[in-house]
Amino acid sequence: MGALSKNLLLGSAMAVALVAGSAGALMAQNKPVIATVVKISGIPWFDRMETGVKQFQKDNPDVVATQYGPATADAAQQLQIVTDLVAKGVNGLAVVPMDPSVLEGTLKRAMDRGIIVVTHEADNQKNTHADVEAFDNADYGTALNKRLAECMGGKGKWTTFVGSLGSRTHMQWVGAGEANAKTHPDMKLVDANNESFDDANGTYEKAKEILRKHPDIKGFQTSAGNDVLGVGRAIDEAGLSGKVCLVGTGLPNPSQDLLESGAITAIGFWDPQKAGMAMNSVAKSLIAGKKIEDGANLGVPGYEKVKVTKGPGTGVLIIGNGMVLADKKNYKEYLF
Amino acid sequence: MRTTGGQLVMLIAINVAVLAFGAAISGGAFLSPFNLQSMAGQLPEIGFLAIGVMLAMCAGNGGIDLSGIALANLSGVVSAVVVSSFLSSTDQQAAYSIAFIAGALLVGLMGGIFNGLLISRLNITPILCTLGTQMLFTGFAVVASDGRAVAVGTPDLLSEIGNGLFLGVPISFLIFIGVAAFIAALLKFTPFGLWLMLMGTNPKAAHYAGFPKTRVLIATYATSGVLSGLAGVIIAARNVNVKWDYGTSYLLIAILIAVMAGVRPEGGYGRVICVVLAAIGLQLMSSMLNFGGLSNFVRDFAWGALLLTFLAVGRYDVVGFLTPNKSKRLV
Repeated sequence: MGALSKNLLLGSAMAVALVAGSAGALMAQNKPVIATVVKISGIPWFDRMETGVKQFQKDNPDVVATQYGPATADAAQQLQIVTDLVAKGVNGLAVVPMDPSVLEGTLKRAMDRGIIVVTHEADNQKNTHADVEAFDNADYGTALNKRLAECMGGKGKWTTFVGSLGSRTHMQWVGAGEANAKTHPDMKLVDANNESFDDANGTYEKAKEILRKHPDIKGFQTSAGNDVLGVGRAIDEAGLSGKVCLVGTGLPNPSQDLLESGAITAIGFWDPQKAGMAMNSVAKSLIAGKKIEDGANLGVPGYEKVKVTKGPGTGVLIIGNGMVLADKKNYKEYLF
Repeated sequence: MRTTGGQLVMLIAINVAVLAFGAAISGGAFLSPFNLQSMAGQLPEIGFLAIGVMLAMCAGNGGIDLSGIALANLSGVVSAVVVSSFLSSTDQQAAYSIAFIAGALLVGLMGGIFNGLLISRLNITPILCTLGTQMLFTGFAVVASDGRAVAVGTPDLLSEIGNGLFLGVPISFLIFIGVAAFIAALLKFTPFGLWLMLMGTNPKAAHYAGFPKTRVLIATYATSGVLSGLAGVIIAARNVNVKWDYGTSYLLIAILIAVMAGVRPEGGYGRVICVVLAAIGLQLMSSMLNFGGLSNFVRDFAWGALLLTFLAVGRYDVVGFLTPNKSKRLV
């Protein structure tokens, strides 16, 4: 084996070790550490949430706030990250669960260890101190469907997309949407609950299939952040912009082109930045031993007067007021 | 046949190095008992799948088992649905636990035998066969569970397996080590083990040697299936709920572990101890990166770099290079 390749081999082995070692020495932390764990890293929704976590860190130099997330939309990967953070001994966990039921075991271990657990988009999570929601999920689903029905004129075939059948909030939204659609007897639901796994390309392929299978379909209600982009692209390519209605959760900036072309009728959202700040704010208060009362002001826009009710477990359910529905006319007011 | 010394030494060295780095970047917290227990508890579910893949690979003829995690989920889901219908996890805890474990292992065994039959009797290429059965098992699991998570609850025995400690070591980890030791003994000391390795080395010679190839293949995939069932039990014990789509990323990670352990994909060679050490190494690296607060994408990069390093070690005699004065041992 040549000298050069031997050196290269040693070098590459060292490189691996160096990357691991250069993670930086963690000095003993006297400040409370709040770790935010999101469903998946690197998509616009949670990139926006990260700006909120960073803003919270800036506004609160007496805590350490960072965001983590798995590289794939797999609940088991998120579980690993949460388990390792619990072992590391953080003071607070702010989790947006990919699947609340998968995390129950680990969150219980976290709570037993004295870690404050705050969740988001998981109002059925039993093992949490507080679940923060931007709005009542049934109201949001109904609002999306009302907008869709308005565009469809109350009649025609329509279908729904969700992130996965385990995504609690998505299932609530389409469930409320279906209930609302029942008030329009001429609206027919076909092929409900298509799973997108937060993959815009996969959603695009699925939407094309549906457009082929039901050439007379009139409406789509989508749930995951990237779904409007995938479905919108399929509608645009099929030349059906303006003829087929699409209402779903999405962020204004990425959806800009499709909103302008008319492929997307309207997007609904709440600001993940504010949600991230609200979660961390609740975590910080709970770590300090304070309680969140009904009507409290979390210091975050959209969460100035929150409704606090009992959650499914021993924790509370905190509901804010942050729902936004934007279409071509007013999306420019929320450019993120 | 290459000496395994090189692979084993590298694996031990990597494990020790990661432990040392982890301790360095976390001020010792990485080596705390709680964290070691936490990492040891995360390991078994993926470890069982990796051993299953190893067995399939050793059988040769492009052997692989892609249906591992799907079968694990299926066993958990079917067992939970069936057992819940006539036993309660809160009232009859012991009976529920035992029935659940038995059910999961049974479903795993049946799934494995199904794989084995398709591959040996119908002569379907293992990768295509297990790709198909993976989707089949996933589909069954969705139908059986209605697409939702099925609650297994926390009956005592199951909860002990998932969270309990024995002399400070997680019980699930002890089960994993025990089963790995059993499989290693099976491969080394029984005729089945010898036939398996011979089949992988040279299928034609195996055919002329006259030992029962079909039965060995079926037994191999059946064992892989039982291991998947065990993984399903561990998943249920730790997570309290079972779901059809849990751990989809485990498929490739299990294969990564097997390849890193020096298992020959073309068959005929593989050591269980190396698989165990490779699994431990990957788990340590993953946890260490989480401790260091690095993005999950760095983990994928690190694993990839590690895999390439191992493949290079397998190709070039790095241990000989590092200790040039020791004379090489011939097998």
